[in-house]
Amino acid sequence: MTNIENQIFSSYQKNPDLYDEIYDSEGNVKDVYQKLFDIYGGHSIQDYVNLNSKAKSSFFNQGITFQVYGEDNVQEKIFPFDLFPRIIDPDEWDIIERGSIQRAKALNLFLWDIYHDKKILKDNIVPLELISSSANYLDQMNGVDPPGGIYNHISGTDIIKHKDGKYYVLEDNIRCPSGVSYVICNRTALKRALFGVFNHYQTHTVTDYAENLLEQLESVKPKGVDIPNCVVITPGMFNSAFYEHSYLAKNMGVELVEGRDLFVENDFVYMKTIKGPERVDVIYRRIDDGFLDPLEFRPDSALGVPGLFAAYKKGNVTLANAPGTGVADDKAVYTYMPEIIKYYLKEEPILNNVHTYHCSRPDELEYVLENISELVIKPVDEAGGYGISIGNRLSKQEIEEVRKQVKETPRKYVAQPIMSLSVHPTYIDESESFEQRHVDLRTFTILGKDDEFVLKGGLTRVALKKGNLIVNSSQGGGSKDTWVLKKQ
Amino acid sequence: MTNYPIFTSTMSKEYTVTYSSDNVYENWVYDAYWQFLIMPFENESQEILDIDFKNSLHTINEFSVNGYGFKTIRVQSKKKFKNVTFEGRFKVLKSEIKEPPIPSRAEILKSYEEINSLTFKVNFQRFLKTTGLTTLPIGNKPLFKFDNITSIIENLHSLNNWVYQHLHYLTGVTDISSTLEKVLSQQSGVCQDFAHVFCALARYNGIPARYVSGYLNHESGYVGDSQMHAWAEAFVPDFGWLGFDPTNNIIENSNHIKVSHGKDYNDCSPLKGVVHSQGNHKTNHSVVVKNHQQQIQQ
Amino acid sequence: MLARVANNLFWMGRYIERSEHIARYMNVNYFSSLDAPNQISQDRQFVLRSMLFMVGDPEKDLNKTLQENEVLYKLGVDPDFGSSILNNVKQARENANSARDLISTELYEAINKFYHFVLNYPKEVFVKSGLHDFTTNIAEMSAILRGKIRGTLLHDSVYAIILMGVNIERATQITRIINSKYNDALLAQGSYEDGFSKSFEWSTLLKCAESYDMMRRFYKKTPTSISTLEFLILNPNCPRSVMNSLNQVYKHVKLLNPEKRYNKESTAFLIGRVRAEYEYKYIEEIEQDIKSFIENILRSLEEISNKVDEEFFNY
Repeated sequence: MTNIENQIFSSYQKNPDLYDEIYDSEGNVKDVYQKLFDIYGGHSIQDYVNLNSKAKSSFFNQGITFQVYGEDNVQEKIFPFDLFPRIIDPDEWDIIERGSIQRAKALNLFLWDIYHDKKILKDNIVPLELISSSANYLDQMNGVDPPGGIYNHISGTDIIKHKDGKYYVLEDNIRCPSGVSYVICNRTALKRALFGVFNHYQTHTVTDYAENLLEQLESVKPKGVDIPNCVVITPGMFNSAFYEHSYLAKNMGVELVEGRDLFVENDFVYMKTIKGPERVDVIYRRIDDGFLDPLEFRPDSALGVPGLFAAYKKGNVTLANAPGTGVADDKAVYTYMPEIIKYYLKEEPILNNVHTYHCSRPDELEYVLENISELVIKPVDEAGGYGISIGNRLSKQEIEEVRKQVKETPRKYVAQPIMSLSVHPTYIDESESFEQRHVDLRTFTILGKDDEFVLKGGLTRVALKKGNLIVNSSQGGGSKDTWVLKKQ
Repeated sequence: MTNYPIFTSTMSKEYTVTYSSDNVYENWVYDAYWQFLIMPFENESQEILDIDFKNSLHTINEFSVNGYGFKTIRVQSKKKFKNVTFEGRFKVLKSEIKEPPIPSRAEILKSYEEINSLTFKVNFQRFLKTTGLTTLPIGNKPLFKFDNITSIIENLHSLNNWVYQHLHYLTGVTDISSTLEKVLSQQSGVCQDFAHVFCALARYNGIPARYVSGYLNHESGYVGDSQMHAWAEAFVPDFGWLGFDPTNNIIENSNHIKVSHGKDYNDCSPLKGVVHSQGNHKTNHSVVVKNHQQQIQQ
Repeated sequence: MLARVANNLFWMGRYIERSEHIARYMNVNYFSSLDAPNQISQDRQFVLRSMLFMVGDPEKDLNKTLQENEVLYKLGVDPDFGSSILNNVKQARENANSARDLISTELYEAINKFYHFVLNYPKEVFVKSGLHDFTTNIAEMSAILRGKIRGTLLHDSVYAIILMGVNIERATQITRIINSKYNDALLAQGSYEDGFSKSFEWSTLLKCAESYDMMRRFYKKTPTSISTLEFLILNPNCPRSVMNSLNQVYKHVKLLNPEKRYNKESTAFLIGRVRAEYEYKYIEEIEQDIKSFIENILRSLEEISNKVDEEFFNY
């Protein structure tokens, strides 16, 4: 196949050391991308400049923005969106989907266990130290049976493709994973901008997320409730994910509440409506454990509801995700995921884990301290890509600083080999051309009482800065529409 | 409750505990929520005969259970106020505590084996882990080390005595957030500090220990806080939890009325509240423990 | 619907309406004054003072010379002045943000666009030459918003609450405008033969309320103090009149609380009472003491607003 006249890709620079999602190792466009590649080649670069600015203003007018807090002002920004979709063929998706469900289920069983019999600790599969030293383990959850037996109703799994062409999981997010609204907005924006391309592909829809979420949330209603009243609780409109909270509430057709809209009386939860109090049965909470209930957790929390935890413990209200799930998305627990999956499910892990060195173990600490330049050093309990040091990007002096920090508090750090995230053609504003950028994929898995659901799509995040490996939006990442193709 | 149960041969004492709290706010309070953790706990040696709780706002008192399973009383107010008083009155029957028997040599060996097993550490991890208030200062040589030749119970008695000897009871030198570093360096503090030191050193030696908050019979002559007293409980293998009062160098007896236990003071604080108000406020708590029916015996 | 969110929607309605009235007041006063038939009405200082008076921030120092660009900046686009159009639109949008799961995407997008228009309007252009363009756009965009409110929301409680806010605010703003122009007419009367009752300011007043054409059609005469006030206060068929606004508020509160039972504590009861009072007033009664009439009506509107707050927003 000749693509020489494909003008928009004529300047595309292929770095042979990187795994490119659309080219195979011989430099040919992969089959699934061929049609898209041809169609995109039929446009001029000027078309992309125009489409790109149209898409941007569409996001802006829809108010799909997040707030960036500067020194003296608050700016509204859009989450940068890329026009070139990522395509995942049905066979690969099958692995990702089964792998995501497997992890979510294993984590759920793990959480049940460590808040009940603690067999995995007694069998010394996961060290006790990991739990007893975790700030996210809630003693109050000991012996509590969450409705339907579900802890992590919603999981966000961060997956990458390494240069060996295999998928690896980088992180399991089971506190309040966000980003799903962008998946849906990206699809809407791409449909508006380039509707023609959809005719050539059989792509799974992503707009069924909210209805599936509601269905699964209703399945874990408290005992004795017939038709549950669900709500979404948000920290408020100044939260960076507020758009997502309101999107989900709106599309589930439920109320979006703040802590001050709720109150607890006789261990039941009510919301304050224009017609008086109305009982609430299931709360999809987008506030962290520590802020849920000032009587039980952080006393200074103004976001929570006094008495909420007692109502939960009595079984009168469901919280999704359950309090105390954070202990399992600790990066140190991540490293035991293969063992956790085998222990509870008696299965081999479907998705790979990146090998992890525990700085808390003396022999591994020694290896880490000596090989910082070849490793990624991550704090165990930071989210959002903060505090990560990538060894081969550090100066000598910086390496020394990291070494010092790790040595001081080894328990706080883990280290992993530097993974080479796959790259994908991405439209770049400054150069007005397509360039290779690193991407990852966050999948969204919902567990209900007897059922599970994985959104057929997911959020492909792009590190927009050249060569950057960190894709988080707070660190200047963008995103792409992600197509999961239907089986032929 | 009017029917008193029939007692067996143990000695029991009947108490009336009166907890009151007066609060005066400089400005109007429009919205407030309180949670009291002051009700005596029900167990083998304690029985609640009567509960009475009043608040001056005349709102409903809700009875609930906190995250650790202890009974709480909650009051919420939606009317504005500047003054509020609470009064709880609890009638309790407290019986004498059984002490563990002296273990045999073989039992002693077995008990040390047990506390070193992983299963034991997992089961009791909550009361073996260090918390902010029970962190021993680092660097020093161990302050108190168990002697593995003698039984755990004997070691715990020695620890109780050690804390009693090592610290002086002195009010006003510490508060509820004082670290052990401070307490140990000044060698003084109040019952909370004694209990925290006891817990920290028991845990250091592999014995699960928990902080206990409760009331003390003031007529008994023991030293303790005029409001909530604090002591500790340690887990003795083959027996169970046993209360130690390091402030008085005794084990828990019929002069102690337990309310709650936890990892440290923070799990047991008697009053938690969310009060939306600006400006100053004054609070005055008081506790009166009356042993009005001297020693019932069958 | 959550009580807090209802409160936000109510205020969203109020802020949308408020920004429109301020914009139109600025526009009409400024441009009518340019060729006004007498000196005082033509005087720039007089017009600027009237604008400040209308938003409730009158210049007290009678000798101070106001700078046109400063006053326009303050009322239009000053982020630090609470009553500026910018801040009103911003408030409307923040209130919409917190309730965006309840309002239609179309309405939200229109508010959002409105906000970005105001926020990004070049401030130098506005104070120099943009007054007409800016204020006309505000008026048009708020008309679009009203259309979206009517056309893209289910006519249920969300709709009723927004329209209660809109109409209470409209009655309030119309009354405030009447008050300012009444004040202006008093100040300007020296330069007329028939001073007060045939003042040029009455035409301006009607234009500020977008009611000049309607009024001419109804009375077929040059506006006088009596006919203008009668039209803007008592005529139930004039969509901008206080009477019409009260009727609207009544209609929408009934949507929220359809209860027929006699309940003297309800908002509906209070609105009904106020409405009845104006239904049977005649203009000569009002004209005797316009000042206390205006004070009374503002007080009644505030009472209604407080009552709404108490009944629906303050569980």
